[in-house]
Amino acid sequence: MKLSDLLTEDLMVLELEGANREEVMEELLNRLDATQALSDRETFKKDLYDREKHGSTGIGSGIAIPHGKSDGVKEPRVAFGRKKSGVNWDSLDGEPANLIFMIAVPKEKAGDDHLRILQALSRMLIDDDFRTNLLAADSKEEVTELIIAV
Amino acid sequence: MKLLAVTSCPNGIAHTYMAAQKLVKTAEESDMGIEVQVETQGSIGVENELTLEEIQSADGIILAVDKVVDMDRFHGKKVLQCSVADAIRKPEELFQRFVEGNVPVYETQKERHQDEGKKNTGQNVFYRSLMNGVSFMIPFVVIGGLLIALSLGIGGEPTAKGMVVPKDSIWNSIFLVGKASFTFMVPILAGYIAVSIADRPGLAPGIIGGYIAATGSFYGSEAGAGFIGGIIAGFLAGYIAKWIKSIRVPKMIQPIMPILVIPLITSVVVAILFIFVLGAPIASLMNGLTGFLESMQGTSKILLALILGAMIAFDMGGPVNKVAFLFGAAMIGEGQTFIMGALAVSICIPPLGMGLATLLAKRKYGESEQEAGKAALAMSLVGITEGAIPFAAGDPLRVIPSIMVGSMTGSMIAMLSGVTDHVPHGGPIVALVQAVGNVPMFFVAILVGSLVTAFMVNALKKPVVNE
Repeated sequence: MKLSDLLTEDLMVLELEGANREEVMEELLNRLDATQALSDRETFKKDLYDREKHGSTGIGSGIAIPHGKSDGVKEPRVAFGRKKSGVNWDSLDGEPANLIFMIAVPKEKAGDDHLRILQALSRMLIDDDFRTNLLAADSKEEVTELIIAV
Repeated sequence: MKLLAVTSCPNGIAHTYMAAQKLVKTAEESDMGIEVQVETQGSIGVENELTLEEIQSADGIILAVDKVVDMDRFHGKKVLQCSVADAIRKPEELFQRFVEGNVPVYETQKERHQDEGKKNTGQNVFYRSLMNGVSFMIPFVVIGGLLIALSLGIGGEPTAKGMVVPKDSIWNSIFLVGKASFTFMVPILAGYIAVSIADRPGLAPGIIGGYIAATGSFYGSEAGAGFIGGIIAGFLAGYIAKWIKSIRVPKMIQPIMPILVIPLITSVVVAILFIFVLGAPIASLMNGLTGFLESMQGTSKILLALILGAMIAFDMGGPVNKVAFLFGAAMIGEGQTFIMGALAVSICIPPLGMGLATLLAKRKYGESEQEAGKAALAMSLVGITEGAIPFAAGDPLRVIPSIMVGSMTGSMIAMLSGVTDHVPHGGPIVALVQAVGNVPMFFVAILVGSLVTAFMVNALKKPVVNE
């Protein structure tokens, strides 16, 4: 399994429409729901917000990773949204988020392949070049190129 | 500067690993000369677990955690606690604090046993649990042992039933207090072994299980299962409680899990296991051993001496020890006092040998063990084999063979030189009350056996790593 199996092109939004966190969350939730990866959209949404309440997932440097390990998720998936103008995510550094990865993980799932992939993605996000390239990518194919290494 | 870090967040999916990556990367890129190694506790489990050697040699620890992690292993190190977010956002600041020396030294609340330093990860849980039980047990052994020693030494009288403290004497009360302390010994050992595995919910089941293990009447056995039974009970209680803890239950029941459900179910299960599964074999083991010893009569005296010595030292007051002792006591009635002579020597060798061992090689024993060693010396004088239990329970694989070999040596010397004893009790005190025949060889046998134990155990043990 590779990240490109979890983050397929139908889960990418290169120019998000939402103007705030709630709207962006809805947009990415819709994408995830459309792939049949969610068993219960509302449960997953609630878990996502519970996690945000715990502390914003806006980790700074323009990145937010709303995520949930939830009963509302059937299959692990990652949705990717980009908003060049940025959206307020109560980030740790106060800066708006440009790159948003919504990570959906089922509560019970055999094996940890998917967790290892998410671990690798998390580590990649610390890399400045990776972020710059993601911001500069012109197409979904290019994004896939970038994440295929993960 | 070498720093270690632990990262952990509630979900363990993303932040745990981001923080880890950020710390390593920042250290590589900075010119502070810092090297970082990170243990991640995420949804995959613990990865890159820090070893005790690494912790020992590190200059400091960063705990970037948003949930509770085990901190005991960082006792005495400089530990900087912060949130996962801090490690992602401002790793430079964290490093800077170490460079400036602006980090407090962390000290655990719990008393830590110094023996821990020498363990490698594989033995970790087993030994840490044993040592936790032993460290709580030691005061009970010391109090009980010294009070019993004192009351027997001053107020005791030799009788056909052994050393007895007359009922109307003040020493009898002191003797009973000492016995009370001994009663708690195995239950406390078992209880705190269980606590170290399952935390607080393990305490009651462990203590109850330990009591059952130590009380043979629960399963129709003449003697309890001793400290070895207590260790088994402790681990049983600990792992059963831990397993029940891991079951997911509805929110409504959660608050009563640690105080009611887990202790209750665990206690019942441990009790059932001990009474119906483990108890019967212990009783039949005693019967088997008794029959075996009786069949040994008239065969080789040397072989008998070796077997008796080994049995006395093996479980120190447990079923095997009891069988040998009762056999010797019965033989006095038949005029074969040489058997009790060999036993009286064997009985005091484990505590005397271990006490000598702590004096001969201080650096191989932690502080509390050195105290236990002094108490063991006093107990050996009045034949309380239990004085060596703290050592045996903490490091059974090295200590039990050493005390067995020592007791076998002493037993054989006594047997060969015709040492006799007509009071069913052991240790130098029986010589004092004129129950021993061939007193010089009685002491020679004790001394040689104890030295064998002391040298053997010190050769086997590694030095305690100073923290």
